[in-house]
Amino acid sequence: MAQLTLSMILVISALIQGLSAPQSTASPRVASCVVPLSQTVRIPVNMLGASEQPDTRDTSIPTLLVSKGAVDELPEGPASFDVLQDGSIVIVDPLRKRICVFDPQGKFRKAWKIGFAADSVTLLRSGLLAIEESGTDILHVFDRDGIAKPQESAVIPKYGDARVLSGTSGVVNRVSAGEARSLEVNYDRQGSRLLSLQVLANDTEGNTFVAVEGTAAGDSGEEIRLNKAIRRYSSDGTLSREVSDIPLDYYVAAVDEVRVRDGKVYQLLTTNSEVRINVWNTNDQCQHD
Amino acid sequence: MWFQVRIVLICFMFGGVALSRPQTATIARLPRASRAEIVARARAIANHSWTCGSSNLNASCSRKYRSDWKVGQRVTGVPYRWGGSDTPEQFDKKLAEGLAAGAHSQYGILSCAAGVDCSGFVTQAWGLPAGHAYSTSNLRQIAGKPKYNWYTDMKPGDVLNLPGSHVVLFTGYNPDGTINVCEAAGSKGRVVCHAATWSRFVKYIPLQYKGIDE
Repeated sequence: MAQLTLSMILVISALIQGLSAPQSTASPRVASCVVPLSQTVRIPVNMLGASEQPDTRDTSIPTLLVSKGAVDELPEGPASFDVLQDGSIVIVDPLRKRICVFDPQGKFRKAWKIGFAADSVTLLRSGLLAIEESGTDILHVFDRDGIAKPQESAVIPKYGDARVLSGTSGVVNRVSAGEARSLEVNYDRQGSRLLSLQVLANDTEGNTFVAVEGTAAGDSGEEIRLNKAIRRYSSDGTLSREVSDIPLDYYVAAVDEVRVRDGKVYQLLTTNSEVRINVWNTNDQCQHD
Repeated sequence: MWFQVRIVLICFMFGGVALSRPQTATIARLPRASRAEIVARARAIANHSWTCGSSNLNASCSRKYRSDWKVGQRVTGVPYRWGGSDTPEQFDKKLAEGLAAGAHSQYGILSCAAGVDCSGFVTQAWGLPAGHAYSTSNLRQIAGKPKYNWYTDMKPGDVLNLPGSHVVLFTGYNPDGTINVCEAAGSKGRVVCHAATWSRFVKYIPLQYKGIDE
């Protein structure tokens, strides 16, 4: 009976595969000005061995640390970053309970101990860094030399709210220079549905950067499939640039996957061999369809 | 083509019975739970506060164990313990007995630690007894694929499962289209509820508990 059952499963699987139309994995067409990837900064990682303890004392180690994970435990490692005004990259290294700073090319500059695993780092308007403790969600403030500033407030910048209205449209209420403005977001990709909107940043020129998640999978797929794009809207609400198809093959699930600084979009993508910082410069000339 | 269809029909007539009987019995034994009950249980686990004592920093059965916590630290959320399925009450009892608060997979499954892992948390929220009969790998035995569009119509108490890796409990959609989930997260060291973007869940499979009382 077991053999019959197994063969039945195989036959049905083969039949279903044969009868089904191939599932489209191609991304929907983008009608706006597409910004190409301009740089990938690569920072090597070490894999934590099964019986190994992370070194939480040595701040001179120039690599980041990830764990393998297991059945029912995700791999852990750098999940958040931010970019300083000079282009330096600040990354959390939670397994070593420290914060690392790399230059814009990915060369190790320094690290400092914080004494706890952090899962988020955010550059504040004051120039200080707010670091969130994983185990308690408490925000700690440090300066860029790693000196704790417990008396300083940690107000995470907020750039606006978004609302998805339908599968093809949404609205963003952006806050820029103390003024609230409404921005219409149209998602006119054929066969694709808008899933979510997030306001990432507003710059001094009035541009607003919005993360847009959508899916072409409909409800017929077996697993979650989607694409993610970052759009730059001008102060008059015109969609001027789009970074399409952000890679989403994370080894360590990102907490803060995208940051925007001076018109550049940065993505943190931790794999099992390196941390990649993908950079798209929306100030550059871009490709038109 | 007609030959293939006939094979399928024959397989359903004979093999289908062999597949469905034990599965039906398993489903019939599942505790029933409403969606509101599931979410309330999940939030109770995520909101459970406890204080780490000095005896909870060490695991008597593991020399290499290192705690996520500090003495006197007040924590909200039952801690993450790989292979664990403790309820808040069981966790408190073990904590009072001096067991370690939480443990990660690198230390193995520790009987001298207390807490809950991702599948232990989800099955506990569904109302299944402690014991960890289900992991992300076999969760599908007690949870099926929802028939609705999960991008828009998923319901509180459903889960997003990545077999062999992780599972989270869905609790609702936000106006901006992101979703609210509760999970026993190793990276957070405990059970937490929070908003998340969809990109966190690429390749995850939506599942609906078969013991749900709609």
